[in-house]
Amino acid sequence: MTVRALCGLAAFNLVLLAVGAASLAALRGWRSWYELARSAGLAYMLGVALVGVVLSIELALGVPFSFAGVVLTCALLALAAAALRRSLARWRPEPPPERARGIGLVSVAFGLLVVVYLEALFRAARLSGLSAFDAWAFWVPKAKAIYFFGGLDEQFFRELPNPSYPPLVPALEAAAFHFMGSADAVTLHVQFWFLACGFVAAVAGLLAPRVPAVMLWPCLLLVLVAPRVVGRNLDPQADFILDYFFALAALLVALWLVGREPWLLATATVFMAAAVMTKRDGQLLVACVVVAGAVASRRSWRFAWPRLGLAAAVAIAALVPWHIWFSTRDLAGDLPAAGALALFDDLDRGWPAFESAISAVFDYDLWLIIVPLVGVAVVLAFLAGARTLPTYALTLYVLVIVGLTWVLWSFTELELPFVQDEAVNPLVRLSASLVIAAGAILPLLLDAAWRGSDDVVLEEP
Amino acid sequence: MQRVVRGGVVACIGFAVALGLVYLVRAVDRLGEAVDANAAANYDDREFAGGNSVVVDKRALYQARAFIPKDGRYRVVAGRRVEGATELTEPFIEHFARYFLMPRRPSVDADWILCYGCDPAGLDGAATLVWENGAGISILRASR
Repeated sequence: MTVRALCGLAAFNLVLLAVGAASLAALRGWRSWYELARSAGLAYMLGVALVGVVLSIELALGVPFSFAGVVLTCALLALAAAALRRSLARWRPEPPPERARGIGLVSVAFGLLVVVYLEALFRAARLSGLSAFDAWAFWVPKAKAIYFFGGLDEQFFRELPNPSYPPLVPALEAAAFHFMGSADAVTLHVQFWFLACGFVAAVAGLLAPRVPAVMLWPCLLLVLVAPRVVGRNLDPQADFILDYFFALAALLVALWLVGREPWLLATATVFMAAAVMTKRDGQLLVACVVVAGAVASRRSWRFAWPRLGLAAAVAIAALVPWHIWFSTRDLAGDLPAAGALALFDDLDRGWPAFESAISAVFDYDLWLIIVPLVGVAVVLAFLAGARTLPTYALTLYVLVIVGLTWVLWSFTELELPFVQDEAVNPLVRLSASLVIAAGAILPLLLDAAWRGSDDVVLEEP
Repeated sequence: MQRVVRGGVVACIGFAVALGLVYLVRAVDRLGEAVDANAAANYDDREFAGGNSVVVDKRALYQARAFIPKDGRYRVVAGRRVEGATELTEPFIEHFARYFLMPRRPSVDADWILCYGCDPAGLDGAATLVWENGAGISILRASR
């Protein structure tokens, strides 16, 4: 709760930005300072994802966790990115030219509204106590255990709830504690404010040259002000960070499907790896992104499917060290206690599970009309003649809803119909992924519907 | 068809703008209320936060932090003899103590005992009373 803690946290996030900027330079490169500034949000989120994944792997491999270790890891990642940039320079295509469009009235107006929102969010984060049950029951205790004991302390990771959840969020929180100088769970909320800002900047930066501001900003603002997002996005737990990773991966895959720029899929792969390292739900969400991408690219499957398969394999490979760590210690696994296919023993749970999933996704009091708007945009895009983007979005949303249904159906310890209080309802948490992703997908769909085409047009100079 | 589609796009954007503006005002109000509540809370309230619904007397956990060394071990023995306990106290006090007292480790045979409404007579072996609040919470140290 001190200025020192805030300054330390700001320094930590600058380090993440630097790592992400170096990585993005290696994967994509840029032609101008304008492009660099526009990509800062994506670079920051890429830094968060990359550092989170690498710290998690280090933890699983038993590398001691300390302030020096975190700084060294970040420095090595930045150096590796610089070396990669040099070695890839020959093969990497020049990034497509973009014109530095003037910032229009719509962008200024909605940008200011988003700034007002983020300013209010910062003040709420600044002195927020650790109220969320999961946060104090296991997310932050895991982070404190890493911070105090310099690694995955076997006693705490065994005794705390959900021991098989991957350690990306606790690792990032523990790194933040090191930069803050103490295990300050109050100031830790500001870290989640940084993540919210980074996500907004990343989506805006990616879409600004691709869709009109009048389609981008209202959709983004609508997602940010959804009641559940306002109430929960500062909680120091994994839900919203998972949603940010998922949404960015989904957006980058969508852009890759219609643009075919290799850096888009490479960057999406990092976010997919981060998603599977954040929460076990991430595996489900990443599978949905990959399958949706495959369905949408079926006409060019020879080109797309091997690349999507490779991206998925890399993302899942990142999970292997953690999987070995927890399975060699006989900790509870990720699948339902009765097995992944136990749902066939309880066929009567199917329909109530589906109803519960649908009611969570379409709950106006939590999410307004965001998902229905995505549905309308999909129909409009199909009617206008677009194919790839609406197919991708439709498949993605249907698959995630099927996934939600599977979760409820298979985890037989959950009673149906599922009416748990939204504050602790895992289904509501999972459905947030579709809402957050809408902030990125909806503008693309509306743009495709307006133009009657999937082709994303970067403005020529 | 293009007109219909474009009309639909405009309608979607219109809904998004209208709802976004209405709910932005509500969001800023709601966040403002959270800011006020956070500012009104004292240091202890912020540090306990979610634990306020579990912990009965904050002094007990602060005293436990003071008495038990950072590399020490403790056990929480919960019971129903705490005055002012909530329905969450007995089932969750051990969870909250684990979060709050870290890096001290919970251990079933620890010397330090945080008795949260327990019956001291029911503890294994002799224990010395180190601190008590007079309302059912005490800190004891087992004699070995």
